[in-house]
Amino acid sequence: MNFEWTSEEAAFRQRLRDFLAATLPEDWERFSQHGPASPALTDYARGFCGKLADEGLLTPHWPKEIGGGGLDPWHQTILAEEMWIAGEPRGGQYMNVNWIGPTLIRYGSPEQQARYLPPIAEGRALWCQGFSEPGAGSDLASLRTRAVLEGDEYHVTGQKIWTSYAGLADTCFLVCRTSDDRKKGISILLVPMDTPGITVRQIPSLIGEGDIHEVFFDDVVVPATARLGEEGEAWSIIAFSLTNERLGIPRYALAEAALDRAVSILQEQDEFGGEAVRIEAAHALALCRASRMASYAIVSRRCRGEAIGPESASARFATVMAERRVAEFIVEYLPEALADAHPYLKMHHQRGIVAGIAAGAAEIQLNIIATDVLKLPREPR
Amino acid sequence: MDLTLTEDQIAILDAVESLAKPYASAPVHDAGFALVSDDLDRELAEGGFLDIAFDPDLGSVSAALVVERLAHLPYAIEAAVSALVRPLFGAELPRPLCLVEPGRSTRPLRFLKAGATVIVVGADSVSSFIATAEQVRAEETLFGYPMGSLLVDPATVATVTHDVSRDAVKTRWRVAIAAEAAGLLAAALDSTATYVTDRQQFGRPLATFQALRHRLSEAQVRANGVYWLAMNAAATLDAGDAALAALHAQESARATVYDFHQFLGAMGMTLEHPLHLWTYRLKALTSELGGRGGQALAAADAVWGRG
Repeated sequence: MNFEWTSEEAAFRQRLRDFLAATLPEDWERFSQHGPASPALTDYARGFCGKLADEGLLTPHWPKEIGGGGLDPWHQTILAEEMWIAGEPRGGQYMNVNWIGPTLIRYGSPEQQARYLPPIAEGRALWCQGFSEPGAGSDLASLRTRAVLEGDEYHVTGQKIWTSYAGLADTCFLVCRTSDDRKKGISILLVPMDTPGITVRQIPSLIGEGDIHEVFFDDVVVPATARLGEEGEAWSIIAFSLTNERLGIPRYALAEAALDRAVSILQEQDEFGGEAVRIEAAHALALCRASRMASYAIVSRRCRGEAIGPESASARFATVMAERRVAEFIVEYLPEALADAHPYLKMHHQRGIVAGIAAGAAEIQLNIIATDVLKLPREPR
Repeated sequence: MDLTLTEDQIAILDAVESLAKPYASAPVHDAGFALVSDDLDRELAEGGFLDIAFDPDLGSVSAALVVERLAHLPYAIEAAVSALVRPLFGAELPRPLCLVEPGRSTRPLRFLKAGATVIVVGADSVSSFIATAEQVRAEETLFGYPMGSLLVDPATVATVTHDVSRDAVKTRWRVAIAAEAAGLLAAALDSTATYVTDRQQFGRPLATFQALRHRLSEAQVRANGVYWLAMNAAATLDAGDAALAALHAQESARATVYDFHQFLGAMGMTLEHPLHLWTYRLKALTSELGGRGGQALAAADAVWGRG
C-alpha cells in the first residue's frame, strides 16, 4: 500500500488547478450557482471544455488511438475531483467524457464513432441519458418506452422523467424496450434531440434551474443505424458503462472543500472555538476522508485492470454519508449559506441533494452490499 | 497512490493466517467475557509479528495490517500497542504494554497485570514502569479484554522517562485503536452475517429481511471506512489522520455494536455465541483517549488549528 501521490500525479493536479485559476471568471463562484444543466453554465461549459480540449485535459483518460492521453484511472480521478471541487465548469459534459464516450468507443459502429466522438472530444457536445421513467426508476428493467422496428427505422413512443440536461442536450442515450423480455428486451438508441416528436418539459428542482426534465417521445422515428450494439444488448452495455462511472462523481472532494470553507468562515467570525462545533466538523471530515479512501481502494483496483467489484457500492454509500453530514453541518452552523451569503456553500448544498438519488439510489447500493459483499441470501421477490 | 497490498504484505498476512488458524474458533463455554491464549501471544512474539514496524522496509502499515487481522480472532491479544506504539520506545520494553493518561489512571486498563509495562502519557513527559503485583488488581469486567486497575498513582511510580513526545505517542495510540477496531468491526459483522444467514424465522433466513440487510450494509460501509482510515493513518502517522481514524472507529463502534446484538435476538444476550468477544472489545476501545469527543477535538485541532 502506498498512500502518497507520485510527483507526476501531484503535478497533474497542480496543472489542473493552475488551469482553473487562469480560466474561470472572477465571479465564478456566484455564477456556478446556476445548476450544472442551466443554460448559463451549459453555454459557459462549451467554451471552457474547448479550452480543456486544447490543453489535452478534456479526455486525458481516453485511449491514445482515438485522441485521448492514455492516462490511468488515477488521472481520471484527479481530474474529476478538481473539476467537481471547482463547481464542475464542464457542466453536463463531464458525463460525455466519463462514460458516454468510453461506451461509444467500446460498442459504437464506425459511423457512430465518427459522428459522436469528435464533438465530445472537442467539448462541443451535450448528452442526456434517457433512463428513468415514471414507472421505472430503481427498477429500470420495468421501463416501457417502446421502440418498434419497421423496415429500417425505429418508431419510439413513451416517456422519460428526471432526465438531466435534456433541455439543452443535442443527443439522448435512450434506453428503450424492443421486446417484452424483461432485461433482454432492452436496447439503446442514440437519438438526436431535435428529432420530430420529442417534447421536453423542465421540472423545477432544488438543484438549480434547467437540471431535470420530462421527455416525451411521440412516434419518434430514428434509423436502425442509431441503435448502439445489438438489439437486447442494453443491459450488458449499461454494465460496461457503470464500470467507468460506478464510483460516480467524487462528491467527497467538494464536500471536504465546502467543509473547509465553512470552517474558515466560522473562524473569521470567531465562531469556531466551541467544542460542539469543532466536534461536529470533525465528524463530517472523518466521513469525507472515509469516503475518499474507500473510493481510492476501488481506483487502485481499476488501475491494476481488476474488476471494480461490488465494493464500489460501499464507496458510493460512504459518499452519501459524507455529503449529508457536511450539508447538515453547514445548515446548523452557517444557515446564511442557503441564502446568498456564501455562494460556494450554497452551490454545494444545491448539488448535494442528488448524492443518494441519482445514478443508483443509496438503497440499491445497500442491496448490492448485502448480496454481493456480505453474501447474504437474497430477498424473496 | 496504490492501495493494493505489496508482495511483502501478502506474505506477512499469509503467515499470520497460518499462525492464527488454530485460534479461529472460540471455545465459548470456557471463555467468559474475555478469551486469552498465552500460546498465541508467545507464537506471535517469537515469530516477530509484533516487531514488523521496527523494520523500515515494512513499516507501520504492515504492522497495522497484522493488528487488523489478529483482531478478527476471538482471542484478545496485546498486539496493537506493541506493534504500533512500541517502535517509539524500543523493543526492550516488556510486554504487555498498557497506555495510560494520568487523569484517567483509576479506570481499568486493558492487559494490566504484574510484569506489564505501564506507559504514562503525561502532559509534559512520557514515562514508564514495570507494574508489580502490589500495584495492580485484576478486574472482572464486561469488556472482552483481560483488565486490571492500578492501585497507585502512575505519575509517582513511573521511573523511566522517555525521550518521546506525548503527541507522537497519542498519534500512534490512535492508529492502534483504529487498526484493532477495523478488525473487530469486520469480525463482528461477519459473525452477525453468518448468524442471520443460518437462522430461519417466518420460513426464511433472517438475512432476507431488508430491515436487517440495510443496517448490516451500513455497518459494512463503516467497517470498510475504518479500515482505510486506519491504514492511511498508519502510513502518514499524521496527528490529524490518526485522530480522524480513531474518531471514525469509535463512532462506528457506537453505531453498530447494538445492531449486531439486536440481530442475534436472544442469542445476542448469551455467552454461548462469540459475538461479544468482538463487540465488547469495541466498547472498551470506544472509551479510550476521551472517547469520540476527545478524538474529534484532537482532529479539529490538528486539521484546522486551535480555536
